[in-house]
Amino acid sequence: MSVELNGVGKSYGGTPALRSVDLSLGTGVTGLLGPNGAGKTTLLRIAATSIAADGGDVRLLGRDPHESHAELTEIRRELGYLPQELGYPSDMTTFGFVEYVAVLKEWDERRARHREVRRVLDLVGLGDLAGKRVSRLSGGQRRRAGLAQALIGSPRLLVLDEPTTGLDPTQRAQLRRTLSVVGHESSVLLSTHQTEDVAALCERVVVLADGQVRFDGTVVDLVATAVGQVWLTDSAVPQAAVTWRTGTGRHRVVGGPRPPGAEAAEPTLEDAYLLMLGPDAAPLPA
Amino acid sequence: MRFTLPEIRRASLTSMVGIEARRFAKHPLFVIGVLAAYGVAVWASTLDTATSGGEVHVEGVLAHPIVPAFFIGLTSLVVAASLTRSTDVAAEAMGTAPGSEARRTLAVAGACVVPLVAGLGWLAELFVIVAVRGTHPNELWFPTVNDGYVWCILLALGPVSCLGGGLLGVLVGRWLRFRGAAVVAVVVVVAVDMLGQMPYAYDDDRASFRLWVPWAMFHAGGATEEELNGIPAYSQALLPGNPAWYLVYLLVLCALAVVGAIWHDRGARTPRVRLVAVGLLVAAIGCFLLAALTGISDVVISGPIDQAG
Repeated sequence: MSVELNGVGKSYGGTPALRSVDLSLGTGVTGLLGPNGAGKTTLLRIAATSIAADGGDVRLLGRDPHESHAELTEIRRELGYLPQELGYPSDMTTFGFVEYVAVLKEWDERRARHREVRRVLDLVGLGDLAGKRVSRLSGGQRRRAGLAQALIGSPRLLVLDEPTTGLDPTQRAQLRRTLSVVGHESSVLLSTHQTEDVAALCERVVVLADGQVRFDGTVVDLVATAVGQVWLTDSAVPQAAVTWRTGTGRHRVVGGPRPPGAEAAEPTLEDAYLLMLGPDAAPLPA
Repeated sequence: MRFTLPEIRRASLTSMVGIEARRFAKHPLFVIGVLAAYGVAVWASTLDTATSGGEVHVEGVLAHPIVPAFFIGLTSLVVAASLTRSTDVAAEAMGTAPGSEARRTLAVAGACVVPLVAGLGWLAELFVIVAVRGTHPNELWFPTVNDGYVWCILLALGPVSCLGGGLLGVLVGRWLRFRGAAVVAVVVVVAVDMLGQMPYAYDDDRASFRLWVPWAMFHAGGATEEELNGIPAYSQALLPGNPAWYLVYLLVLCALAVVGAIWHDRGARTPRVRLVAVGLLVAAIGCFLLAALTGISDVVISGPIDQAG
């Protein structure tokens, strides 16, 4: 297992961000879903060794990051991390920034390092922009530069916090392609608000809410929880908790009693998520 | 957590120093500072009026190091602080790489060889100017003091001050997080240097106390028409102290700045680093005392230096 969390908790100034989280991840791509403030970033930061948990056991790549500085360093040698918010030194080029991280990741030999930097930049579609200053890249391009630095050295554990932010559909498709390849040999844990990215890319999904795991299983199993609870109608259903008018002019209704004249619709991952955590969802246990 | 250190990857540090050194050398502020220092050295030589045998010579050689200290040392302080903080914007991503904050700090500190080299280049330029224009016989060289004395003053107040400015910038960049911290540090350094030595500089009994400041003058006087601080008109003075120990003192302060910057990384506060810090503090005090209590004991006044016109 690449990530093993047992009873992990984390609080900020008395406010719990994570409450006794149990999680085990192996090779493959796992999506982390949840509303804002659910604890996703906190969980990812613990997995990335950016912060320490307040309680519970954490094992990453078979090692305990709290045991010693040497163990922590060994974990970090096989770890790639893209934080939710990543700043860039304003004077660095895209190549220079990724190269700097490569040096920090102990790519000592210059030629090999430059080859690796070019490889990851090509992987994220920034090969042609290597010489451009990071400060002059668009938001989506900077996000891809951040992803490139995380991919240096093909890490065994890749932790990505909202990697698709700012990416257009073509770039998101490219990212999915990249991560699907990476996921064959590494453990990828990513958080996103885009349920379609999780549906398209992840074998497994973890739904986090209020610092607790609400669901941990396959995407198919999560979607299955919404079967028989999603409908399409021709007219609006004002009393429905989750409903909206689709592009075809029909109204999609998620959860609640079946509206009169409605027909059952194939549920999506988003529907299952809304059922689990939307306004109509059952309250979480204390 | 037990602090068992992993194997040190020297090659990584060398690569990082190389990257930071390139960034340092290309920084616009540093380039401007170097050009200004080299340009002012040439320009100042055109203002010299010391004459001997009908020819105009370079004057006040031992006063010239203020030029690189000001233009290269102070700009390097700002540049080094900026470089130190620049990678912190990506701290969360970089902080989860094996290379620690301490290693990044050491890399920027290592890059301060750039201002040191610039300062040495300035010194070479000065000697070219001196070789071309010569010096007045009463200029403070022979036989008042020996070569080593003069070299130590020039090195300490020139290139080593350039190095020290950069390393102080690394320290400031690590510990002071508010906007404009580096500029504030520049003002503080200048104020400390001026106010820390001026009350004592011309006092025979206490002049050596000035040597605690990071840039202490050893030379005073010059082409003034009237007596100033006990120095006759058109004469120069050598102030008390031992410049060789002062040079070592400054190098120890440089090392202390590096240790102080590394100290910011909690993971780097190993017993060995603590020992080094204590050792350097003791060495700094010892070197200061040796600088103050040995060497020339009184102000030495030169003979009059003829002026052109």
